[in-house]
Amino acid sequence: MKIRASRVQNTPLVTPRQSQPIVPPWTRGDYRGVTTMETSAHLPLTPSLFKEEGHLRSNQTYGRCNSRQIARRASHLLALLLFLASPSSAQQIYDMLLKNGHVIDPKNQRNGRYDIAVIGNKIIRVGENLPSSKAKLVVDLSQYYVTPGLIDIHTHFDEQGAQLNLNPDHNALQSGVTTAVDAGSSGWKNFEQFQKQVINESRTRLLAFLNIVGAGMYGEKVENDVQEMDVDAAARMVKKYPQTIVGIKTAHFQPATWEAVDRAVKAAELSNSVVMVDFHPKPGRGYSELILKYMRPGDIHTHFYGRLTPQLDAQKKVQPYMLEARKRGVLFDVGHGSGSFWFRIAVPAIEQGFLPDTISTDIHKDSIMLPRANMITTMSKFLNIGMTLEQVIERSTINPAKAIRRPELGNLSEGGVADIAVLELQKGQFAFLDSGHGKLIGDKRLRCVLTVRNGKVVWDTEGLSLTEWSNAGPYSNFK
Amino acid sequence: MRINSIGVLVRRRSTRRIAFTLPFMILMTRLAVAQSYDILLQGGHVIDPANGIDRVMDIAISGDRITRVAPGLPAEQAKKVLNVKGLYVTPGLIDLHAHVYGYSGSVFPDDTALLAGTTTVVDAGGAGWRSFDDFKKKIIDVSKTRVLVFLNIVGRGMLGSEVEDNVEDMDSAKTAAKIKENPNQIVGIKVAHFGLPGWTALERAVEAGRLSNTPVIVDDKIFTNSGRTSREKLLRVMRPGDLHTHVYNDRQLEVVDRFTGKVQPYMFEARKRGVLFDLGHGGGSFLWPVAVRAMKQGFLPDTISTDLHSSSIMIPQSDMANCISKLMNLDMKLQDAVARSTVNPARAIKRFPELGTLGEGKVADIAVFDLKTGVFAFKDAWSKKLLGTQKLECVATIRNGRLVADLNGLGFPRWNTAGEYEVIP
Repeated sequence: MKIRASRVQNTPLVTPRQSQPIVPPWTRGDYRGVTTMETSAHLPLTPSLFKEEGHLRSNQTYGRCNSRQIARRASHLLALLLFLASPSSAQQIYDMLLKNGHVIDPKNQRNGRYDIAVIGNKIIRVGENLPSSKAKLVVDLSQYYVTPGLIDIHTHFDEQGAQLNLNPDHNALQSGVTTAVDAGSSGWKNFEQFQKQVINESRTRLLAFLNIVGAGMYGEKVENDVQEMDVDAAARMVKKYPQTIVGIKTAHFQPATWEAVDRAVKAAELSNSVVMVDFHPKPGRGYSELILKYMRPGDIHTHFYGRLTPQLDAQKKVQPYMLEARKRGVLFDVGHGSGSFWFRIAVPAIEQGFLPDTISTDIHKDSIMLPRANMITTMSKFLNIGMTLEQVIERSTINPAKAIRRPELGNLSEGGVADIAVLELQKGQFAFLDSGHGKLIGDKRLRCVLTVRNGKVVWDTEGLSLTEWSNAGPYSNFK
Repeated sequence: MRINSIGVLVRRRSTRRIAFTLPFMILMTRLAVAQSYDILLQGGHVIDPANGIDRVMDIAISGDRITRVAPGLPAEQAKKVLNVKGLYVTPGLIDLHAHVYGYSGSVFPDDTALLAGTTTVVDAGGAGWRSFDDFKKKIIDVSKTRVLVFLNIVGRGMLGSEVEDNVEDMDSAKTAAKIKENPNQIVGIKVAHFGLPGWTALERAVEAGRLSNTPVIVDDKIFTNSGRTSREKLLRVMRPGDLHTHVYNDRQLEVVDRFTGKVQPYMFEARKRGVLFDLGHGGGSFLWPVAVRAMKQGFLPDTISTDLHSSSIMIPQSDMANCISKLMNLDMKLQDAVARSTVNPARAIKRFPELGTLGEGKVADIAVFDLKTGVFAFKDAWSKKLLGTQKLECVATIRNGRLVADLNGLGFPRWNTAGEYEVIP
């Protein structure tokens, strides 16, 4: 008896470190408590059913290492030694290797089959035949296109704000969008609330154009009130959050004066940022003046395929002032929305070579329904009007990155953040509706199958990064 | 209530009721011939389990009502014709377990439900009797989706464990009173996430259900030494007609014996008693090892629902069409799955025959689906995949007689032949 007691003291049943992950089975679920530890270990368990790892291990940790454990540890040690001794040990272990996809990366002028290696939240290498043996997770993308995470510069994701706004993650990441810019849902008065409630909480990188209206998009009355447009306060807010606010938005202004545009431009000058303009022409406040005089090079006119602005003449020819404004450096953004994308304007303009500088959605609760103004569908529409895939990708990645002055985004450079979209180009017959619900029948459609944001797979419709359940071994709830 | 061969919950007296209503139905169809239709769904394979329809038929809609269901209806009488040949037409799906208010992960119903063919969602306990009015004003009254409500037995609703474990705020009488005040929206009571020992939360919910004559839907927490067992819960505490959601979870109910892999006998006993079992996929409650074993042994969910919220929506996509697809790849027939997503939930919340059927004269809530074949991956709540061969995709949704989702542009003219169109309704 004495000898036994001393042995117990020397080898404690449960060491503090081991005791941490143990979940005794009787505390889990409505375990009915008939089996003790010993008997449960001998029962013919159904191997992959219900057992979190802690449950299985609990049998082993109550006592000294059994022979299987010792063998396993030895084999781990052996593997480590072999690895250290191998000549390639200088190479890093990739967290994820995106294998064999057709990479389109306009910034780095890549257009072909490459592998992309990710460690942590960074792209470490882009090259051919990177070794699969060095990767913890290999995803075969040989059937897909791989592009930089898409950038949608006209969204309404201030979910807690105005009624029409949507949730960023549900609507961006599914489309391959890893960076979304909210276009003026909030102004200097409520931006910080937006940041706290939504921006800081979302997995999507959410940036913002600050509305020149202090209260943001809170209805006609506020948005038409010049007194609400405080240039200094807006500029101060932009300068306070240079990481998040990329510029100033002016929108929905009805009075026939230049006040809203003027103030937005002034605030942008003071804060060294860009202006995005949503414009309703009025007598004495014409569109050509806006793009030739009031907007600065680098400023963005959104909704430019909309019906409000006269971009085509009666013969459907692109107006000369459009070309002149483009030469000046004014940027033209799609901003699809529920009223601003019409095939009868976009098709002739594109046929004449007047392509958008940036493709964006103006996604909100209405535009998402019949027109399906999400990023991937909007891009598909342009593909079917006749733009090439490369042109579409360029206008959804590097161009918007440049427009919002974030050159570090919208590319797949080594060392850059791992924001990546994997797209399928489907062939068949597909229909697309514009803002007026007119239909275009096309033969191509893009679909986002996988999205990587900040190095993590956040969307994976085809289960490309997952194991099959029947091969998954002990099922664990701990991801 | 019992379940017939394709899983439809049926009441025994239904034949007598049909005999009674038949003359009126004939009269109505006669009247309808003279009318012109707003929308005609032409040539689709109609599945309407409540009326035993499973074949190619046309459906005519006038205003917000279904006016005729018959083969070969005249297209020239319709303002808008959708050619749905090769597609399936079903009653708008009813998602019995959704989160659209209160709960931190709740989603907006329209973009998540209507685009998946769901026309009615039942919010499962986001609001309690204290917060229901706010819910009604902010969500129910502004969404296109029909939003019904299981009222949380907790007065403040689903606001985290501190609030949800507070027994003081579980007032059966006040909950029942709120239900009686709002019979059009509130269909029952939710009890969820109760983490303390004992039956207090469930018993108060059941008491509120008794006072208001509505069912209770149970979502039990992973509990630790609480003294609650599945057997007692299902056979003693819950009433016939009450629902247990998350049926293919392993921590709320012990559905499958964890040592033998067999469905527990008390599950069948509870089903015989009339307790209903709801899918409630969610972010933690659809597990392949449980679902595969339970379905093989014939234990299917009475109702299919999503428990859709901000994390489960990123499990692509775990909406109604996805949940149905998953069950179909575990050998459930489409007709059966439709029954469990339309007539069954409608009966469970006592909204049948007003909802969940394509009967003439009923509200025009209709979904159109494409059943695709190929190889598709489906992910469960624990991030493991099953490769399947069938996938149901929503193509169009009609809610209250209006075409609200149309992913193939079936209901609209081509842009280059439509002239200088304004927004086409």
